[in-house]
Amino acid sequence: MKKWVHSESFTAWTFMAPGLILVAVFVFWPIIYGIPLSFTDYSVISETHYVGFDNFVTAFHDSNFLTSLWNSLLYVIIVPVIQILSILMAILVNGKIPGVKIFRTAYYIPVVTSMVAVALIWSWLLSNNGVVNFILLKLGLIHDQVAWLSTSSTALFVLMFITMWKGLGYYMMLYLAGLQGIPSDLYEAARVDGASRWHVIWSITIPLLRPHILFCSLISLMAAIRVFDEVYILTKGGPGTSTLTSSVYIFQKGLEQFNFGYASALGLIVSVLIGGLSVLVFRFNQKGGVNPY
Amino acid sequence: MKKSKKRTVSVLLSVLLLSFLLSACGGGKSGGEEGGKSAGPVKLEFWTISLQPTFTDYFNKLIADYQKSHEGVTIEWKDYPYDAVTNKLLTSIASGSSPDVVNLNTEFASQMGSKGAVVDLNSFLTDEQKQSYFEGIYNSTVIDGKAYALPWYTGTEVLFMNTKIVKDAGLDPANPPKTQDELAAWAKQIKEKTGKSGYARQWVSNLFPREGIKLLNDDKSAAAFNTPETKTILEDIKQKIADGIIVKEDVPFTKQIQYYSSEQVAFEMSGPTFINFLKTSAPDVYKNTIAVPLPTGRSGVRLSNSMNLVVPAKSKHQKEAVEFAAFVTNAENQTSFAKAANTLPSTKESIKDPFFTESDNSLESQAKITSANSLDKAIDYMVGVPNATDINAAIARGLQKIMLNDADINATLDAMEQEVNQVLKK
Repeated sequence: MKKWVHSESFTAWTFMAPGLILVAVFVFWPIIYGIPLSFTDYSVISETHYVGFDNFVTAFHDSNFLTSLWNSLLYVIIVPVIQILSILMAILVNGKIPGVKIFRTAYYIPVVTSMVAVALIWSWLLSNNGVVNFILLKLGLIHDQVAWLSTSSTALFVLMFITMWKGLGYYMMLYLAGLQGIPSDLYEAARVDGASRWHVIWSITIPLLRPHILFCSLISLMAAIRVFDEVYILTKGGPGTSTLTSSVYIFQKGLEQFNFGYASALGLIVSVLIGGLSVLVFRFNQKGGVNPY
Repeated sequence: MKKSKKRTVSVLLSVLLLSFLLSACGGGKSGGEEGGKSAGPVKLEFWTISLQPTFTDYFNKLIADYQKSHEGVTIEWKDYPYDAVTNKLLTSIASGSSPDVVNLNTEFASQMGSKGAVVDLNSFLTDEQKQSYFEGIYNSTVIDGKAYALPWYTGTEVLFMNTKIVKDAGLDPANPPKTQDELAAWAKQIKEKTGKSGYARQWVSNLFPREGIKLLNDDKSAAAFNTPETKTILEDIKQKIADGIIVKEDVPFTKQIQYYSSEQVAFEMSGPTFINFLKTSAPDVYKNTIAVPLPTGRSGVRLSNSMNLVVPAKSKHQKEAVEFAAFVTNAENQTSFAKAANTLPSTKESIKDPFFTESDNSLESQAKITSANSLDKAIDYMVGVPNATDINAAIARGLQKIMLNDADINATLDAMEQEVNQVLKK
């Protein structure tokens, strides 16, 4: 015991303890507590009863939940797009071009801006008499004003665009860090061998960025399925159910309609789905990367 | 060794899960039996929504008066923002420290009532007290004969009109439209002459009672809105959207203020509280605005939007809490609050005060008098509907699909009916 107290691992655990306690109380506890809750009709305000698998059976017959799951899965379309664009942007701002720091900062500004502010600005830009309609009408690309957020065929894609616009800078910075970890002699060797710019990107940059691609794909996948803020602020899941994502539906069932038991069951289903998809992402991105040590 | 460690961890986890399960099942027990009369000094916690600091003086005086006439009772007043009060109330009830008197809107009060989380006031109030409120408004939170809330300040919609846009369209604001059809004809002319729309609105379930369509059948066991008449009305509204009379969007109140303030629409249908927002956001538009009676829909009723006081079932001093809620909402105190806050009272006696009949020609007094004259016909559209929020959500989603997504009306009405019936079966 005395030996352990003086060990490095004891010191490490001591430093980590405050954070771990907070994570345990505010992250792990609610997750674990959600499991038994999903088998009840818990509503906070009235008596709770055990309902067995009723919530899960209801969930798979609930057309709104199934639509919300489908919308969340559709949202995953942005994952490869955002990764490709942010890698390209990272490569662009990694070069020694004049004013590159301004670009890096400009791309990062949306990341540090509150989602509420971002959503409100886009709602003005996209309103019937907003700047987007004005420009598109002037360019002759549309003939009538488009209610971008009130039309089912456009609303979800507009939300995806906003999510992407806000997230690009974040992933760009992560990829930039990855790019700067790739040894420059590899590029020099490729250049000596006469490799083209695209060949270098394809054969050196992308394979060595694989750990970053795995990490970024994983967190953007989870973020896409869990998307909430922009949807809730801009459309609240409407019009109809066209932008209803699983997080918004779970929020509505739990915090607006007090069906916390049912909301927990839905949360559990979505968590399992995210877990499954994360395993798939791991499978596709296992190999590659550069060892910095 | 490793195996035994794993076993210990799994046993601990199982015990933990089981204990959570049991605690979840045992939690949230109704606090009815905790209520009732209590001996000794009583401290009541009173929650309001977004009334500080504007009305701090009014409430401090009200509370001081009450405490003077009710020895041994202390009122602790807390005020929360509109968005926070629901979560705050849920967490307080869950943690066993329920407030005693809470200000809630009708939808939330009905939702709490349908889950048995607030006190049935019938056993506490006299007939005289019950009859002092406007019947339509009082009944809005009566579910299965149980009265779950005392109506407090309220408002009925009036028609706000931008006289500049109306004049530009060649119309005379001195002879405002009196029926829905006249309003539509005005809006159509405005669209043709000025390019601006008539009005913006939100697609929610109040559309049905406004148009005389019953939401539910008489015993509230099934949806009643899926009729050929409903289809005709919805087709008519869709045509109005196509003609530019109604903005093709689902426009919540905050955005309606933006549309009206930026002169993108000529009309706004709202309660008198709209004026304060308009005054701040667009003083020039405020100067050009007049308030006239709202042309009613096919039902001829005007919808009210009331704030209520409820007593949570977990209050430890239910009797005293109901007494205090009745005091806050009695005619005398509602009259003085309406004067201080430019709202309308829900008590019949209050409305006889000259404040609600004499105009100084300001927009505020035009709106107040117009709105007050509608109170006897006012109903809150949530009348006795259990699981109101779920039903509203289902209808709103369906209406949005029809109005904004060009969904088939018959098929969508069928789906809405099915969803509402499922909610009612719960």
